[in-house]
Amino acid sequence: MLDSAPFLGIPEYTFLTVLAVVAVVALELCWARTGIFRTAQYWFTMLLVFGFQIPVDGWLTKLRDPVVIYNERQMSGLRLPWDIPVEDFGFGFAMVTLAILLWRRRLDRAARPAATSQTSDPEGATRTP
Amino acid sequence: MRAGADPTRGRCEIDRYQYLLLMAGCLVITLPLELVLQARVYRRLRALLWALVPVVVVFAVWDIAGIAREHWTYNARYVTGIQLGFGMPLEELVFFVVIPLCGLLSYEAVGYVLGRFAGHRPTRPAPDVAQRGQVAEPAGRSPRA
Repeated sequence: MLDSAPFLGIPEYTFLTVLAVVAVVALELCWARTGIFRTAQYWFTMLLVFGFQIPVDGWLTKLRDPVVIYNERQMSGLRLPWDIPVEDFGFGFAMVTLAILLWRRRLDRAARPAATSQTSDPEGATRTP
Repeated sequence: MRAGADPTRGRCEIDRYQYLLLMAGCLVITLPLELVLQARVYRRLRALLWALVPVVVVFAVWDIAGIAREHWTYNARYVTGIQLGFGMPLEELVFFVVIPLCGLLSYEAVGYVLGRFAGHRPTRPAPDVAQRGQVAEPAGRSPRA
């Protein structure tokens, strides 16, 4: 039962990771619209995050002496660098991006309390007291 | 090299905290981002909770599903054994708080550094900056022509 055939031939963890990445990108583009994907600030941050993910995740997943043990049947089996399941980078992307877009959205809304509609006040001139 | 004779005795007790210590290390390493690079993430606790709580909920559900479907399991040697329900170890909850928190600290620190690098003044932007037509991200503005 637990090692059932993977969904559409895709291992479950692989499938869920792709789904998470697509869902977070869709959340930003269709709902949050913070514009983070168009900023150097976001992409530099992700570069740092992936850079630090390698030692931390690498330590957790090292096959020689793992902290977290992955089921090879539920993942693509592609591990790099070191023994990090490649899916973990999608997992990390989704998790950190979700946090940043929620954070950005919260800060932007706090900065513009009257801006309920983005188009009704293009100049930002009027502000209801 | 550890003696392999006895699996419990003689093994360093600290091993059980290995996962937690790794997370603590992440917090220690990112602390200068708050203190030196003016990330001001801890100091905006409400916004932090606003961002973190949904992430923790979503990824805890994923984690519980992953454990139930046997996508992954935990090496009993390196976790405390404290369970939060549905098979989720304490360490995983800590992970879902610490890693996004480190991400936010990085994001704000990068914003601060880019702002400084671009000579951005939060209170009074330079007049020529507005001509760039770049991304409407204040911290990412560049005064260079």
